[in-house]
Amino acid sequence: MVGSKDHRRTRLILLYSLASVLLFVMVYPYLYMVLNSFADWGQVDRKLIPTSYSLKSYSWLFTGGESGVSRPWLGAFLNSVIVSIGSTVLMMLFAVMVAYALSKLRFRGRDTVNNFILFHMFFPSIILLIPSFLIIQKLGWYDTYWALIIPKGMSLWAIFMYTNFFKAVPTVFIEAAKLDGAKDFQILYRIMIPMSKSITSVIFLFLLMERWTELLWDMIMVRSDNMLTLNVLLSQMFGPYGTYPGPLYAGSVLLSLPIIILFIIFGKNFQQGMQVSLK
Amino acid sequence: MKENNNRLGWLFTSPYLLYSIVFFFIPLIWSFYLSFTNWDLIAPDFQFVGFDNFAKALQSPSVHAAFWVTYKFMLVFVPLVSVMALIVSVLVHSLPKYKSLFLVGFFLPYLSSGVVSSLIVKGFLSYNSPLNMSLRKIGIRIDWLGTSWSALFIVGLIMAWKFTGYYALILTASLESIDHEVYEAAAIDGVNSKQRFWRITLPLLYPGFYTTLILAFGVTFGIFTEVYQLTGGGPNFATNTWQMEIFSQAFKNLQAGYASAVALLASIATFVSIYIIRKLLEKWGARNGWV
Repeated sequence: MVGSKDHRRTRLILLYSLASVLLFVMVYPYLYMVLNSFADWGQVDRKLIPTSYSLKSYSWLFTGGESGVSRPWLGAFLNSVIVSIGSTVLMMLFAVMVAYALSKLRFRGRDTVNNFILFHMFFPSIILLIPSFLIIQKLGWYDTYWALIIPKGMSLWAIFMYTNFFKAVPTVFIEAAKLDGAKDFQILYRIMIPMSKSITSVIFLFLLMERWTELLWDMIMVRSDNMLTLNVLLSQMFGPYGTYPGPLYAGSVLLSLPIIILFIIFGKNFQQGMQVSLK
Repeated sequence: MKENNNRLGWLFTSPYLLYSIVFFFIPLIWSFYLSFTNWDLIAPDFQFVGFDNFAKALQSPSVHAAFWVTYKFMLVFVPLVSVMALIVSVLVHSLPKYKSLFLVGFFLPYLSSGVVSSLIVKGFLSYNSPLNMSLRKIGIRIDWLGTSWSALFIVGLIMAWKFTGYYALILTASLESIDHEVYEAAAIDGVNSKQRFWRITLPLLYPGFYTTLILAFGVTFGIFTEVYQLTGGGPNFATNTWQMEIFSQAFKNLQAGYASAVALLASIATFVSIYIIRKLLEKWGARNGWV
C-alpha cells in the first residue's frame, strides 16, 4: 500500500510540473513583452531575459523622444476607453432588452425575429464591410466617435446567450411581480438582470475584450490622429518605430494591462459564469 | 393583455430591428449593387460594368490565393488548437486542486490583441533575436516571415496560442459534466486506460469537441489582424486571407466595386464551406455513434 501511495504522489508531482511548464510556455509571450518594455534599449529583442532595465521606453511614449515623432498615445488610450465602454454598454443594454422580449414576451412575429437573428449571426459579415463604410459616410459619422461606437453597439452573440439564459428563469417570478404592479422595464432590471449576474460578467468581459482589440473597423472609420484607438495607433507604429521596438512594447503593455486587470477582478465570477454559459 | 404584449415585444426588439435595417439589409443590397460597378471608393460617379468584376476576380492570382489560404490555415490551425486544447483540458481535469487557477492562466492569451501578439512574435523572430542567433550558430538561417510555409505556420501558431485556453475551458466543462459513475462502472468491467479514453472520454466529450471544432473552423475564415501586421498577405500571397484581400483591394487599391465582388465570392465560399464542414462533422460523430 505504501508503494501505491508513493506512486500516486509522484504522479501528482509530475502532473503539476507538466501543467506549470505548459502554463509558463503559454504565458511567456506576455512576460517577454513586459520585460522588453522595461529593458535597456540595447537589449530589446536581444535577450530572453534582459539584464539591465530602464524606463526610457515609457517616457518615450509620452514625450516622443528625440525622433520628434510624438504620437498621441495617451489620447489614443482614452479613445479606446470611450469607444470600448460606449459600445459594450450599448451591446449589453440592447442584448438584455431583445433577449427579454424573445424569451418572456409573447408577440406576433417572435419566432421570425428569433430565427432571423440566428441567420444573421452565421452570415459571413465580410460582405458588409465596404457598404457599411459608405453608410457611415452618408450618416456623416466618418471620423467621429459615433462611427466607432454605434455600429459596434449590437452583439448577436450576447442576445443569443441572454435569450437562452432568460428562458430558464421561472415565469412565476415575473407573474408575481406583475401582480404587484411591476412594469416590464422594472421586471427587467429588478428580476432578470440580478438573476443573471454570473453570465453577465462573462458576456461583459468577452464583449469588452473583443471591442478593445478590434482593428479593421477602427482603422477604416477614422482618419485624424486624435481619433485613433490605441490598438490602431500601435498598429500604425509598427513600421515607423521598427527601429525603436522598446516603446512599442511599452504601448503593448498599456493596451494589454486594462483587460488583464479587469479579468483578474472579474475572474472569480468568470469561472462560475463560464460554467453556467456552457451548459 | 395580448395586444399589450404585441406592442411591447416590438418595442423591446426595436433596437435590433433598426440595427439590422441600417447595418445589415441596406449594406447587403448595396454590396450586390456595388459589385457590378467600377466605383473607386471616393469619386461620386461610376459606371456599371456588368459581370466584369467577377470575371476579373475569378482570374486573379490573389483571389485564388485567398481561396486556398483559408484551407491551408485550417490544416495548420484546427489540428494544432484541437490537440493543444485537448491536452490542456485533460491535464487540468486530472489535477485535484487549483483547477480554476490553471484554467484562468491558460485563458490569458485569449485576451491579447492581435496587434500585440504580432508585435511580440515579430520581435521574437527578428534578425538578432536570441532564437535566430542560436539557430545561426548551428547553421540554420530562416527568414521566418519571408518564407511561405513558415509565415503560414507562424500565423497559425499565433492563432492556436490565442484560442487554446478558450477551447480548453469549453472542453473542461464537458469533461466535468461526465458522470464519475460511468468511469467506476468501466473500472469494474476491467476497462484499461487506453480503452477508457477512446471509448468513454472521447464520445462523451464529443458535444464540447464539436463546439470547439465549429468555432475553430469559423476562425480561419476571419483571419486579418495577424496577417495584416506580420506579412501583409505575403510572401507572394502565401498568407493572403479573404479579409486581407478585400481590405487591400477596397482601401489600398481603392477598387471598391471590384472588392465588393470579391467579398461576394468570399461570402459564398465561406457559407458553403462552413455548411459542408458542419455536415461532415455531424456525419463523423454519427458514424462513430457519438451523437
